[in-house]
Amino acid sequence: MIEVDELTVRFGGVVPIDRMTVTLAGGTCGLIGPNGAGKTTFFNVLSGFVKPVAGSVRAFGEDLLAVADFRRARWGVRRTFQTEQAIANLSVYDNVLLVHENTGGARATRRQDVMDAVTFVGLEREASHQVGRLGVASRRLVEVARAVVGKPRLVLLDEPAAGLPADETEHLAQLIRRIPEETEAPVILVDHDMSLVSACCATTAVLDFGRLIASGITSEVLRDEHVISAYLGTEEEV
Amino acid sequence: MTAVRTLHDGEAAPTSEVRTPRSLHGPVRVVVLAGLVAFVVFGLPTLLDRYWLQIVTSAVIYSIVTLGLGLLIGRAGMVSLCQFLLLAIGAWVALRLEYATSLPFPVLILVAGVVTGLIGALIGLPALRLSGLYLALITLMAAGAITVVLRIAQFPNGGGGFFGNSAAGGASSRLPRPELATGDTAYFRYCVAVAGLMFLLALWQVRGKSGRAWAALRQSQATAVAAGVNTTLYRLWAFALASFMAGVAGGLLAADSGGVNINQFPVQNSILLLAVVLMGGVYSLWGAVVAALLLRLLPAVLDDWGVSTELLTILFGIGILQVLLTAPGGLADQVPKDLANLGRGLRNLVTPKAKRAVPPT
Amino acid sequence: MPDLKPFLVLGFALGGVFAMSGVGLVVLYRATGVLNLAYGAIGATGALITWSLLDSGWGPDWLAYLACIAFGGLATLLYGVVFGPPFSARDPLVKATATLGLLLILLGTMQWVWGRDPHGITLPTTRWNYEIFDARVSGTQIIGVVFAIVVTTGTAVFLRVTKIGTAMRALANDREITATLGVPVRRVEAAAWLGSGILCGGAGLLLSNLVGLDIVGLTFLVIPALAAALIGQLRSLWVTLAAGFLIGIVQSGLTAFSEVAEYRTLTPFVLAIVALLWFAMRRQQTLVRSSG
Repeated sequence: MIEVDELTVRFGGVVPIDRMTVTLAGGTCGLIGPNGAGKTTFFNVLSGFVKPVAGSVRAFGEDLLAVADFRRARWGVRRTFQTEQAIANLSVYDNVLLVHENTGGARATRRQDVMDAVTFVGLEREASHQVGRLGVASRRLVEVARAVVGKPRLVLLDEPAAGLPADETEHLAQLIRRIPEETEAPVILVDHDMSLVSACCATTAVLDFGRLIASGITSEVLRDEHVISAYLGTEEEV
Repeated sequence: MTAVRTLHDGEAAPTSEVRTPRSLHGPVRVVVLAGLVAFVVFGLPTLLDRYWLQIVTSAVIYSIVTLGLGLLIGRAGMVSLCQFLLLAIGAWVALRLEYATSLPFPVLILVAGVVTGLIGALIGLPALRLSGLYLALITLMAAGAITVVLRIAQFPNGGGGFFGNSAAGGASSRLPRPELATGDTAYFRYCVAVAGLMFLLALWQVRGKSGRAWAALRQSQATAVAAGVNTTLYRLWAFALASFMAGVAGGLLAADSGGVNINQFPVQNSILLLAVVLMGGVYSLWGAVVAALLLRLLPAVLDDWGVSTELLTILFGIGILQVLLTAPGGLADQVPKDLANLGRGLRNLVTPKAKRAVPPT
Repeated sequence: MPDLKPFLVLGFALGGVFAMSGVGLVVLYRATGVLNLAYGAIGATGALITWSLLDSGWGPDWLAYLACIAFGGLATLLYGVVFGPPFSARDPLVKATATLGLLLILLGTMQWVWGRDPHGITLPTTRWNYEIFDARVSGTQIIGVVFAIVVTTGTAVFLRVTKIGTAMRALANDREITATLGVPVRRVEAAAWLGSGILCGGAGLLLSNLVGLDIVGLTFLVIPALAAALIGQLRSLWVTLAAGFLIGIVQSGLTAFSEVAEYRTLTPFVLAIVALLWFAMRRQQTLVRSSG
């Protein structure tokens, strides 16, 4: 349960998030909106990269904003990046291990936990391969494995399917749907691919110009007139 | 799902092709390495006269400095221009400790390393919030400042007071050698042993949690933080570790024949050190050995041949530009590749079809 | 209280040259992202060429002096044209490190060609002496001060008024956008390299008179200039000018106090480190620029 209350972020004169109030329940929740709507900024607030000027974020009753940036991962915030950021110089296994050992994962179960996460995304055969030599789809999967290893409490996926062909996206969608069952952590999914969002998310919230303009059951939200005009309208213009 | 698998298999092929020879070469490598170490420790001193043994000893000592700087640049992605002066600080601290305490030699150089490590971390501290360029500039300024102070204070020569340099003191600043290694050959072996320990320390750090954290940092600050890496701590640790190594090397240098004097630390050597480390290669520990040979052995060889050593400065300048432009891996990366290419070329000459024989996965 | 006047006069003059070099560094850094650490080495090489020309008695003296400035401009331009483009997309740290390569090439060349004998240049202006406020001032010292002010003002006006200056300021803000706007990036950068190089040659000539023609010494006089530029945050020409004067005056003024005189050369390092620390403290830690 993530409760966001009156959250405001300001960079100089720009207000990427403007008094956003939303409650995200468990399961997989979609977060959509046109470019520049504030989606990634919202993720950056949750991961501690950006300090909001006002508002609060409570996660499972705790004040998330009070946690230092690098301790957020230890607390349980995991994320993937819009531009894929799996560490090219490390093996698949070491990429996942890095997260486990820096987030307070138990030493005794380390090997098992890491292999579980690698197996979860289906990269167990490539576990010892250097990530830099893998294709873009596998590197995206490495990021997902990093997001689920150990004990995540909140998983943020920022356009995980960007640049993937349709069949890869389909595989990714199956994985994303399994994350909440596997880890018991709520997942927030940002993506422009509406089929991915509808396939994965029971509920969806829509941002436009830093404001929350709709939230609720995904199929209903996607039919909402405001959403269609705000979102799809801009898409056509682009 | 099948499509995904196929794509993976297709991509796995080149990777495993690369990995197979490595795993095959594993035992071979260990044997070659053991042979090499045995030759350096037992064979080499018998082949060299006193002069060349001293040159090689100093190369061994400097390989510890190049190792630290290589780690800092190659693993943590930070450039320091003050490592050469931290070497001087290590020597200075070791000399002072020897005067003030009766610590045994190994403890002496260890403490010199720790003190230098702390000083290095102190210099690196402001850089944690500044970009890489500013860190390099801070270290450049620190190098300049240390040089000025060192020129005034000189190395301790057994005099009293804090700086310990007085006309009443000895003529040279030299640390007494450990009892088991008073001779030149024994001291050479001692230095090889210490350098070996430092390389093991480096290997342990690079393969372990620190190495993974540095790899994340080098990719991007955001990636590292998102993975829960305490970036401040690991940046500082990289700096402290490199400085620690410079300090240990300084202790060894102070006990080297002739001891230390400030003329060994001209300003441009900080830049020469960076040049050889880049040329040697920062992504491989072998690069540190190559760098130390470039820095200490090559000038002596050229001198022996009657070639002006100023040409070496020019060569190192060209080396910096070349490495930054075309060969980021340096010689440690380039030479094996060139040899492999040469070998492949030769093999292809003999059996032209060998090229197409891709090993099955 | 010792008589500070002669030290202050020298300090002003030195400070002027540091400031002028600092401005050269800042202009180049803003336009190309390159912090040219070989600045001192280029000036020193130019000064040695001048010495050789004077020594050989070939051509009139003014031509020899001009050669120093011309060498500064051309050598810097040549480096910029050859190595600017391949490094243009790299990190500022890599660009600055590359100029250390140039520094070593020039330093090695200087030591190889000129290393054996002592050298010295005396500009005719050094022999002109004036009495200002009861202090003896040489013509070269006056030139040092006046040039610094003229160069800074001139550069500031140039950047603001001329087309190429505007393009340089735009480049400093955003290379890619400037390039897509149709600004001839290469030509503007070449202008920055040339201009900065000419300042460098001039500074080399003046410094060889003010502090002597010492190869390593002149090569590393880039550090006070760099300190001035850093205090100006590699951005402000006027702060750089003021910082240059400050460094020159403090360093020279300390000569008068025997207790600390030998530590006076620490001045640029200490001031630069303090400035960098101050920026580090003030800097807001932002990890990623948000786009979403």
